[in-house]
Amino acid sequence: MTAPLLELRNIETYYGPIMAIRGVSLVVNEGEIVTVLGANGAGKTTLLKTATGALDASKGQVFLDGNEIQNRDPDWVARQGIAHVPEGREVFPFLNVTENLAMGAYNRSDKQAIAADVETVYGYFPVLRELRGKMAAYLSGGQQQMLAIGRGYMAKPRLLLLDEPSLGLSPALVEEIFEIITRLNREQGLSILLVEQNANVALRASQRGYVMEVGGIVMDGASDELLASEDIKEFYLGKKEEGVRGQRRWKKRKTWR
Amino acid sequence: MALNGTEVTSHGCDTVPKLFMKVSAERGDRIAMREKDFGIWQSYSWNDYRETALAIANGLLSLGLQRGDVVSIQSEDCKEWLFADLGGLLAGGVVNGVYATYQSRQVEHALTDSSCRFLLVEDEEQLDKFLEIEDRMPAVEKVFVFDWKGLRGFEHDKVAPVEDLYEAGRVYGIQHPDRVDRIVADGRPDDLAILIYTSGTTGMPKGSMISQRYIMFQINLAPDTIRQTEADELLTYLPLCHVAERIFSGWAPLATGATINFAESPETVAQDLVELSPTYMFAVPRVLEKFYSKVTTAMSEATWMGRTAFELAMRVGMRRADALISGEAQSTVNKIMFQIADRLVFRNIKKLLGLDRVHGLVSGAAPISTALLKWYLAMGIPVDEAYGQTEAGVVTATRKGVFRLGTVGPAAAGVDIRISDEGEVLLRSQGNFSGYLNQPEKTAETLVDGWIRTGDVGELDEEGNLSITDRLKDIIITAGGKNITPSVMENELKFSPYVSDAVIIGDKRKYLTCLIMIDQENVEHYAQTHAIPFTDYKSLCANKDIVALIDGEVTRVNEGFSSVETVKKFRLINVLLTAEDDELTPTMKLKRSFINEKYSTLIESMYGD
Repeated sequence: MTAPLLELRNIETYYGPIMAIRGVSLVVNEGEIVTVLGANGAGKTTLLKTATGALDASKGQVFLDGNEIQNRDPDWVARQGIAHVPEGREVFPFLNVTENLAMGAYNRSDKQAIAADVETVYGYFPVLRELRGKMAAYLSGGQQQMLAIGRGYMAKPRLLLLDEPSLGLSPALVEEIFEIITRLNREQGLSILLVEQNANVALRASQRGYVMEVGGIVMDGASDELLASEDIKEFYLGKKEEGVRGQRRWKKRKTWR
Repeated sequence: MALNGTEVTSHGCDTVPKLFMKVSAERGDRIAMREKDFGIWQSYSWNDYRETALAIANGLLSLGLQRGDVVSIQSEDCKEWLFADLGGLLAGGVVNGVYATYQSRQVEHALTDSSCRFLLVEDEEQLDKFLEIEDRMPAVEKVFVFDWKGLRGFEHDKVAPVEDLYEAGRVYGIQHPDRVDRIVADGRPDDLAILIYTSGTTGMPKGSMISQRYIMFQINLAPDTIRQTEADELLTYLPLCHVAERIFSGWAPLATGATINFAESPETVAQDLVELSPTYMFAVPRVLEKFYSKVTTAMSEATWMGRTAFELAMRVGMRRADALISGEAQSTVNKIMFQIADRLVFRNIKKLLGLDRVHGLVSGAAPISTALLKWYLAMGIPVDEAYGQTEAGVVTATRKGVFRLGTVGPAAAGVDIRISDEGEVLLRSQGNFSGYLNQPEKTAETLVDGWIRTGDVGELDEEGNLSITDRLKDIIITAGGKNITPSVMENELKFSPYVSDAVIIGDKRKYLTCLIMIDQENVEHYAQTHAIPFTDYKSLCANKDIVALIDGEVTRVNEGFSSVETVKKFRLINVLLTAEDDELTPTMKLKRSFINEKYSTLIESMYGD
């Protein structure tokens, strides 16, 4: 059996004295889209940061292709083929679109291939081509998100980590971005680890999912199984039985079955 | 002792309402109970207790409550629970506690079987359970809600906030100032006071009829058998529907004047305990097992220094425990050694758990392992064991300063204990229950010639200490004809920090097997420290290293038993169970018969070849 592309094993991460991740294990296989669901403060972002070395794990291992990569410098991890698209886009505001994309290819020197990849990005996000000379600060939220994903792609990663790409976007735009994410996966063979609060769109795009709560995983399974679970329906999809009064406010105890 | 001899009285009163009216007037502004509100502990005096209970009583009377009508309370523990309990009794009603963990079909049974007229529920969640079955319960006339949150704008001619009841009661009280007093004065010890539904292993729960005399008899167990005094701070966290918490936190304080403290919720008990550091509390063995696991795990994580200090202190403590058990005098050196160990080690642990002030820690409602009792004793926390059941109340408790681990102590004053020819424990006292509601055949099976058949197998030693072997119907007879009492081994297993509960199987089988529920926290911790990857509870149970860990625990326990008594195979229950699940009792014990049925395929897999 070959090693999975990315494997986290019993990761524990602290912010000072506070344990933000309490023992998380997770696997992303080559070619997969995997979703991590969780409410605010569940530790999703911390998990991605630990995977890319932006935060150090105090316990546990991160494996890429079976080799340990935890607690290395983030730039080294990036060179190993993991691109991190951070929460809130974090594009370089005073650089224009082309320059932002070029920053994604910072570690590469194959000029021709880079140019080809820029074209590929413009292929997926035609609007970026139109705006290529514009400063990123002037782009709309959706365009910035596209740019951030494009910048991640420019590193030619084997694994793309996406931190809440739907954040602050209109439903139509969310649909569009997720469609492109699935196309990137299908057409470019890019493996994706996706962190989301928007369970519906994320689970439909992915093959498998994990549910995180207060720093630990409480449930995992195939995406369609998760979509069918009662707790996911109630707590992430907002679909609850109306109850006898038609306006139930109390929450069931979560059991994650 | 004659059954119809002298009446049972406390403070000169022979019923609960009479006692309550007397002591609440005497105690006035003294604190009766505390409850957390928005994170801050608030106090309520005996005056508050009395006024609210009277308002509820008058309110129910204004709605036409007649003596003997049933008032049900469906709520987690809270001050309103006790207000309503006393309010219903003061009005001459019969109070029926309904578990907040019940699903609506169980609620339906409890309300229908008792012909409930008035229902008091905690909040909108509990109210919804009633609304789901509303059309099948025409007998319920009015429902009052303690916490109206989330119900603004909700209109229903049967449902109102409890404040409406208080208000109606105050008005009625002014118009009919003597009504409650007259009803209270007319009360007789034989009156039915409350109903307690107990989970039948087969079929729906049975309602035990509890008279005023039964309750007064229990109240009188303080302070000799229930060693609770006015100075005590209690922690109330087990359901008040359950007879044990009702006795220790609901009724006993009427006589003793101890202060009741409500845990904020069932999930925050550990935190509440640390904040309050109660002096007296009742605990089910599961809670005590949990504390033990917590300390064991903390110690495995501690520094070398800390671990060594704990081990040394434990050695000193165990030596002292041995001496206490055998009744030998302690040498001065040992006394000093224990003082040092306590000062340096035990005191910190006790503070950490919130057990630094407790002088009365009572275990009951389930059997407990003697190794666990000894562990507590070594730390300087003597755990008392009490024995009883809904039908008889508390009937025995261990004596202060006498440690006969494995026995539940001698009979309380006024209780007769006899062992039948089959080895069954029979009980008789003035506190006997009055039978099961609407179930004359079941009553006749249990109440025989004034004796209650407990269904427990037990023995009396020469000092009169009772020890319980097991439930009569739980005794396993293997295919080889060997009688086995499963609880002994189950308790040994539960003593392991990694095992939360265990059920031994083997009736009419070739060998014994076991279903085990793991302790989530400690097993996760183990997985974490040993780099065993897992995602959720299910994957944890399926992990071969975890199975090996539990296998090690089973093997270790097996060593103490003869070959036929050992567990040959086991399986882990891979679903994290909550109190809402049918598999668990409200006090979080696995229900043997239910488990046998529900997990029959899993069980068969241990016997297939």
